[in-house]
Amino acid sequence: MSGDHLPEIERVLFTEEQIRQRIGEVAAEISQRYRGKTLKLIGVLKGSVFFLTELARRIEVPVKIDFLAISSFSNKSGSPGVVRIAKDLDDGIENEDVILVEDIVDTGFTLRYLLQTLASRSPNSLAVCTFLDRNSRRIVQVPVEFRCFEIPDRFVIGFGLDYNQLYRNIGYVAVLKMDTSHARI
Amino acid sequence: MALIAVSGQTGCRIEEVARISAQRLGFQLVTQSRVRSLIQQEFGSGPIPDKAYADVLTSITARLATEHHLILAIDGAELLIRRFPAILRVYITAPEAVRVGNVMLDRRLDRPSAKEALWEMEAGDAAARKAYFGKPAPAPDAFDLTLNAGALNSEQMVELIETAARSLALAEHGYLSAAAEAQIQFQIRLRLARHKIIPAGSISLARRTFAHQSEQIFANLLDFYRIAWEYEPRTFPIHWDADGKVAESFTPDFYLPEFDLYVELTTMKQSLVTKKNRKVRLLKELNPALNIQVFYQKDFENLVFKYGLAERLVKA
Repeated sequence: MSGDHLPEIERVLFTEEQIRQRIGEVAAEISQRYRGKTLKLIGVLKGSVFFLTELARRIEVPVKIDFLAISSFSNKSGSPGVVRIAKDLDDGIENEDVILVEDIVDTGFTLRYLLQTLASRSPNSLAVCTFLDRNSRRIVQVPVEFRCFEIPDRFVIGFGLDYNQLYRNIGYVAVLKMDTSHARI
Repeated sequence: MALIAVSGQTGCRIEEVARISAQRLGFQLVTQSRVRSLIQQEFGSGPIPDKAYADVLTSITARLATEHHLILAIDGAELLIRRFPAILRVYITAPEAVRVGNVMLDRRLDRPSAKEALWEMEAGDAAARKAYFGKPAPAPDAFDLTLNAGALNSEQMVELIETAARSLALAEHGYLSAAAEAQIQFQIRLRLARHKIIPAGSISLARRTFAHQSEQIFANLLDFYRIAWEYEPRTFPIHWDADGKVAESFTPDFYLPEFDLYVELTTMKQSLVTKKNRKVRLLKELNPALNIQVFYQKDFENLVFKYGLAERLVKA
């Protein structure tokens, strides 16, 4: 989806070309770091799917892929309870070199929970690669070894990132207008 | 009054299980860091002799138990609460690999270093337990329920604790009566007097009524992600008048003990933000080692936007 004229977009933050180039650089960095090893990429559904796909294609060491999903805080009917794994990994990660692939890291809350969960499963190593890093909003300091872009404190969509489950399939990253009345809900 | 003591092997994420249990049961969570803060309020900032620690802890527990059912995530608490009527003592254990994994993450270490760190932490915990309670390790029969974190995740452990608490009808007991508390405090004060410790009259219990709905939402978010928090646990003086009296102070909204981080939410207009920024700057100048993060209106709006919480938020 090109999304050239979406009225709800304030401005484009990263073009498709910039994204393609930067993912290639990060993939090269990962390939160098994990030379001689087999890597397992774990994507966090749903936002990381587009990034993980492109990243995996550009990495030059053998790669396995798995996915997990966690419950969402956005339960509008009252107390959301506590975070839990909504879809677990298909296979174990014991003694594997794992990279957790995220679409965006901001407060660090989600990532902390995921790292705790994965670290208890005895991987050989565990690292984080995120497409976007909104460091200005970080509350929990979590280790992020690989990042494509640092972004300002704006609400962004595209390349996997959504608003109300929409806009994930836009090929670039854009700032969404905060006026939600324009959003296609 | 109901008391649940949760302790366990080093590296078992005991506080997390205790916190979720407290949330589910509607009990108040008492963590090691909260106890430290209450000890300071009640007994001053001077050192507490090791031999007096158990009595100090019992005194604080008794005071809190007059207003809440409690979950104590404190090593050795199972020994203290024997004197209280409605109790559940829980011990969490886990294979070393699981505990090493937790340390790897918490301290950002590779596996060999994490293993070494875990051993050091275990030695430290054993030494503290011996100093405070006379024994380096708990006896298995000191617990009513033992859970294996190698086989059970936090949610499952919480469910078992919840089931045990309900089966024992813990919450059906009323809070500790004023008379019972007075009797406990009297006995403890006699013993503390031997250590020249004279407590003040009362403990200032942390307020749980939020000043603003944004704070309630933020607290819910922290609960959701199983992050321990305390609301306005401490007030810092930031300005003194010519006589040395505190003229201005600052109370950050939240304290996250796991990260030793204070968080201040600022969902107000810019003129007031400037005033608050000044307070934060003064606080940092006076306490350079203190970690505080200000969460501004835009940060909060984006969170609200991201999680679709607008309908929950009453605008400031």
